[in-house]
Amino acid sequence: VIKALVWDLDNTLLDGVYLEEPEHPPPVRHDSAKILAELAGRGILQAIASRNPPEAGEYAARATGHDFAAIECGWGAKSAAIEAIMSELNLAPEEVAFTDDDAMERAEVGYRLPDVLVLAPEDLREAASWPEFSPAEVTDEARRRGELYRQRRARREEARAFGGSRDDFLRYCGTRVTIAWAREEDLPRLHELSERTHQFNSAASAWPQPAFARLLSSSEHHVVVLRLADRFGDDGIVGACVIATSEAPGSWRVPLLMMSCRALGRGVIDALLAWLCRAARAAGAAQAAVECVLTSRNVPLRIALTSAGFRAGDGPAPPAGSTVIYRHELELPLPVLPDWVTQWPDGTA
Amino acid sequence: MNAAGLSADIRQMLAGLTGDERPLTAPESTPLLRDGLGLDSLRGTMLLAQISRQYGIDIAAEDLNLDALASIGALTDFLSRRLHLG
Repeated sequence: VIKALVWDLDNTLLDGVYLEEPEHPPPVRHDSAKILAELAGRGILQAIASRNPPEAGEYAARATGHDFAAIECGWGAKSAAIEAIMSELNLAPEEVAFTDDDAMERAEVGYRLPDVLVLAPEDLREAASWPEFSPAEVTDEARRRGELYRQRRARREEARAFGGSRDDFLRYCGTRVTIAWAREEDLPRLHELSERTHQFNSAASAWPQPAFARLLSSSEHHVVVLRLADRFGDDGIVGACVIATSEAPGSWRVPLLMMSCRALGRGVIDALLAWLCRAARAAGAAQAAVECVLTSRNVPLRIALTSAGFRAGDGPAPPAGSTVIYRHELELPLPVLPDWVTQWPDGTA
Repeated sequence: MNAAGLSADIRQMLAGLTGDERPLTAPESTPLLRDGLGLDSLRGTMLLAQISRQYGIDIAAEDLNLDALASIGALTDFLSRRLHLG
């Protein structure tokens, strides 16, 4: 699945060369603007990598009226610009497409980053109909993705200038995490999270929407969603977990736990794990057990679990693809529920 | 390299990740995560990647519990054993 499309500017997104006449820069190409709007509407992030001064990127954002998720303008290699964008947006090369009218630039990116999908502008129209560019259902979170990344940049700039600790900053931002039982209308987002999250995902593969639907009506399962907001904006649902409450006596088993990378550094995963332990204990369980399929990408989740006091066993990790169980005995003291968790289901924490 | 040199290198690496100088002088028992040096899961992952590049040791594969991240001393001991610095 392609999560971001990176645009060249000159003769690709723009109908001409920016530096030919910076005072009267060229207009946006009609065909490109149409594809940009269409793909952004499907929740695919749009970014710019251009050999131009930074003003060129700002101009393109104004001229298209689009909130670009990342803009890299400079004189380095296009592959380096795309790597910077991947790092900024937390993406893997196979999740990125790049379009440029210059065959040399396409070759350079194709050579340095073989997993990036490289396209000539004239191929974009057809590529837009490929399954890689076609998520099954577009959630509200997906449609607002560009806007959310812009809010993230604003938040990060303030964080840089802020002197205190991370927790102080989260409080200063008015961070609000809301934990709730999932409802019918959350199903598309649950499926989307299971498909799009990798670094904080305890299962190695996506769960189909009907699987979540079945669990919503099960009396032996809880499906939990986490919403995140602060004064910079509302991120909507950024995390979720599935809990089997009565399979093993005295234990809450968690077959799926996931969080969007967008919520990184905002205390969400810590809040979810703290709530999980407290809710399990409030329900009379003696242990919370998170099943985790080890992958090359979900090491951040393992660190979050370890950091919250979960343990999976001594010694080396079994090979990738193995399932391990991270357990937390629910004796006091339990992990602290941060004060920005403002709501949780009655009686669970 | 000896054990003291390793400890200095690790502390330097941690200072680079936290953006302050506290890791250079903090006690060996200082935890890396949370209330210790305050590494979050993202920075923790960056630390593991740097260690893998610099020393060729993949902590995520060799330590299921990630106990090596328990403290500055635990990390230094873990790497020191793997590198046979004694």
